[in-house]
Amino acid sequence: MLRKVREQEQTISILVNNQPGVLSRVGGVFGRHGYNIKSLCVAETTNPEVSRITLTSESDPDFTEKIKKQLDKLVDIIDVSDVSGQSYIQRELMLIGVTIKEGAYSEILRAIELFGCRIVTMTPDYFILELTGQPDETAAFLKFFQSFGVEEINRTGVIVLQRTRPKRNV
Amino acid sequence: MNWRLFYFLNSKEQEANMETIGADIVIQILREKGVDVIFGYPGANTLPIHDRLINSPVRHYLMRHEQAAAHAADGYARATGKVGVCIATSGPGATNLVTGIATAFMDSTPMVALTAQVSTSLLGHDAFQETDIIGITLPITKHSYQVHDVNNLAATLRQAFELATTGRPGPVLVDIPRDILSSKCQRAEKKAAPGLKTNYKTAEDSEQLEKIAKTLNQSERPILIIGGGVKLSNALHLIRELIEKAKIPFVTTMMGIGSVDSVNGYNLGLIGTHGNELANRMVHQCDFILAVGTRFSDRSTALIEEFAPLAKIAQIDIDPTSIGKSIKINLPYVGDIRDALTALLPLIDEKEKSDWLQRIQTEREAIAGKVVDTGCGQAGDFIHMLQEAMPVETTVTADVGLNQIWTVRTWQARSPRSLITSGGMGTMGFSLPAAIGAKVGTPERAVIAITGDGGFYMNIQELATISYYNLPIKIVVINNGHLGMIRQIQDLFYNARFTTIDLGSTVDFVAVARGFGIPGSRVAVDKDPKPGIEAMVKADGPYLLEAVVDPENYVYPIIPPGCSNIEMMYDRLD
Repeated sequence: MLRKVREQEQTISILVNNQPGVLSRVGGVFGRHGYNIKSLCVAETTNPEVSRITLTSESDPDFTEKIKKQLDKLVDIIDVSDVSGQSYIQRELMLIGVTIKEGAYSEILRAIELFGCRIVTMTPDYFILELTGQPDETAAFLKFFQSFGVEEINRTGVIVLQRTRPKRNV
Repeated sequence: MNWRLFYFLNSKEQEANMETIGADIVIQILREKGVDVIFGYPGANTLPIHDRLINSPVRHYLMRHEQAAAHAADGYARATGKVGVCIATSGPGATNLVTGIATAFMDSTPMVALTAQVSTSLLGHDAFQETDIIGITLPITKHSYQVHDVNNLAATLRQAFELATTGRPGPVLVDIPRDILSSKCQRAEKKAAPGLKTNYKTAEDSEQLEKIAKTLNQSERPILIIGGGVKLSNALHLIRELIEKAKIPFVTTMMGIGSVDSVNGYNLGLIGTHGNELANRMVHQCDFILAVGTRFSDRSTALIEEFAPLAKIAQIDIDPTSIGKSIKINLPYVGDIRDALTALLPLIDEKEKSDWLQRIQTEREAIAGKVVDTGCGQAGDFIHMLQEAMPVETTVTADVGLNQIWTVRTWQARSPRSLITSGGMGTMGFSLPAAIGAKVGTPERAVIAITGDGGFYMNIQELATISYYNLPIKIVVINNGHLGMIRQIQDLFYNARFTTIDLGSTVDFVAVARGFGIPGSRVAVDKDPKPGIEAMVKADGPYLLEAVVDPENYVYPIIPPGCSNIEMMYDRLD
């Protein structure tokens, strides 16, 4: 059963016990309830026993509340929070491989400067660019370079931190 | 020295020399948790545990199929209120438990399922009898553990018991590799399970309870819906007190049956697609619903958009995901039912008999005049006769299909744990092994397993378990030679195009039972079944009564798929 998706991106941050199998439990909750995970990032926190899962999903407005209740039932979940709002810093890192066509060289270099991205590697007809930014920046970046022929992309998925010092240290 | 004595002394000597291993920890924790009975089936990988069971007071019932072990543990838990424990070996043993675990999960039975696993060095090698039972049972357990270090075994098992029995109860699986079971270790120190996180509030959220009480006090046509959670939280006396004080009529879900003695003037019956007309009609007319310990499953609500259109709904449940899952709740309350009702009761006004109760009485009489019988036909009369003949202190297990609906609609559950059936999962083959668990758990009570011929086939091998342990269980096979409920659906909603429902009449169940060492007899419900019933009741040990019934003996009223709770069909012409 797939839900009717209303284009609304939700980002949630989940603190979990850093143990084998936890990710499949979290993923299972999404799959069983018909939610698709758009991006996912998992990494240890300052406490090596705790990992943070940051994920985004395009879902209906009830999504966060429903999924939060379901996730809260998992034993290995420590905390779930909605981090879609303004009080969170969101970043994503993206690598794209672009083919260089005849005559487009100077335009691409200008765009690289404009977007503030970096050339990671370069051959006469192919570069790999790196960009870090908010999700809307990476989206604009991708859209622009698609007109030049993007061969490959890879991205980390959104990662998030609260803007102010957290009350509780994990 | 004779051989027997030699072996005895030899085994005593072995025992003295035995070092503590993982399997001893398993038994130590079982004993610590008060488990004296487990249901299971051995395999090469469980052997360390089964070996150490020899010298332990924990009784192991050897079932004839692992699925039955899980159902028996489930039946035991439902009959006693204690946690049920089942054990199976790795691979097929573990996968055979799956249906039983899922059944327990859907009906929130506290259960610990122990599975043996191949040794840790073989994990992931597709070793003989290896299966990823953790992966397989992810969506049907509250949680599952695989133990990788014998020093964590005790803590893990304690946590499993804690988890299975707290909050909304449910099955927890512990998968233990063979090398862990046979690893040497120290006996576990006495230590309580680490407190697990709870995500429900205690009854301190008094503001919401005040709102619920106020709405109930002001309502003119209130109804209480009693779900299975009332039994699970042991809030039985509180719910009775609430009914008496507020003079509030109640309906039950299938899992809620028996929470309050069914013979009660405020009881309107079962709601839902196979429910009583009075219950469904009154829910449709009420202006306030207090729902306690129910998740508003589709079987209870039928067409959700038209469920209780006039009512404000308050819901009390310990599981936050059960609240507002399928229906909009005006007054949600997350918490233990017992705590919530304790705090709620003083806020409820003492009511006098109301117009609402008068109106219900009028409807009750009108419906009684309309339906000639219970809607269950001769099969219903037969079940009524069974109850008349059995002692008051009887536990009945009902299977799934027509026999389940006939039973839950006809059998008057006089006490909370007296009617056991697979409500959420609808597992055919449940009633026979569940009756084994119920009889083992409550030997002082009479136990009767009611099943259809279809469900009986699904765990028929358990006749051997009943016979071997000489468990005095009364087995009633209501035989219509068909998958009756599917037949009814095909008859009514598939233009009587019958297919794949004919089970035939070539099998002689009485002879089958005799082959298993269980006496029995056959009656036809349209002749006089009383002598057969009497023979069954009189039998000291197990007894099988085959009751032949017309395949067109359906259950009415029935709610057609996609219809609301009040669009009931009384026969195929409706």
